[in-house]
Amino acid sequence: MNQLPKNPALRRYLYRFLIAMSLYVVFLVTALWAFPIYHPTGPLAYLLGILPALPIIAVIVIVGFYLAEEKDEFQQRVLMQAMIWGIGATLAITTAWGFLEVFKLVPQLPLYVVFPLFCALTGFSTGMLKSKYK
Amino acid sequence: MPYCPTSPQERRYVVHMLIAAALCILFSVVAALGFRHAHPTGILAYLLGTLPGLPIVGALAATGLYLHAETDEFLRNVLIQSLLGGMGATLALTTVWGNLEDFVHAPHLGLTWIYPLFWAFSGISYGFVRLRYK
Repeated sequence: MNQLPKNPALRRYLYRFLIAMSLYVVFLVTALWAFPIYHPTGPLAYLLGILPALPIIAVIVIVGFYLAEEKDEFQQRVLMQAMIWGIGATLAITTAWGFLEVFKLVPQLPLYVVFPLFCALTGFSTGMLKSKYK
Repeated sequence: MPYCPTSPQERRYVVHMLIAAALCILFSVVAALGFRHAHPTGILAYLLGTLPGLPIVGALAATGLYLHAETDEFLRNVLIQSLLGGMGATLALTTVWGNLEDFVHAPHLGLTWIYPLFWAFSGISYGFVRLRYK
């Protein structure tokens, strides 16, 4: 049974995304394992610290490739609109939280939560937009 | 040559953004003075803490309204592509910095920085997009 989408651009996107996410797991586990054992310092520590971020950057590039390769204008427009809504909501939430942080009313939120927050909000927007265009 | 908006929608958008920027400065001063002198607690503290973020939410809404109102497809596409470029760069940077905060204890970058960073990257992206269409 082939569950893969027929759309070639979407299929390519899924392959690339899965490779990037697999690398993310490998790199994250590597960094989490290496830091407490080897206590790296200097440039090596920075390189190892950045390692799990590289597949996330790759995912951002992969989404860009998908947008460029997608021939279905409707799908392309829905994703673009969803991402615009996603970034708008992410910026609104992070700015509000940021000011509350400044005035010490909430705990400091680590910056790596911004990407999953954006993904969740974009996913939510995609659902809303798709139901609007149904 | 000074910047000159090319469409009435763009002119309105620039005015909205300037008002939002002015309100953001004003509300930041009000919140800072309020916390220094009145030492608010409870709900009032949270309201005062989020006050400077409200014009930012307004600016985001103004951007959305402009995108919706702009009838020049070229201008709209250029802005959308710039925003997507800015979004990608912002997410990449926050992910890298977030990992460095976590693994190598890099100093915490306040969440309020994400919004100006996004616009700085969108501005750079705008230049590249315009160059592409020249």
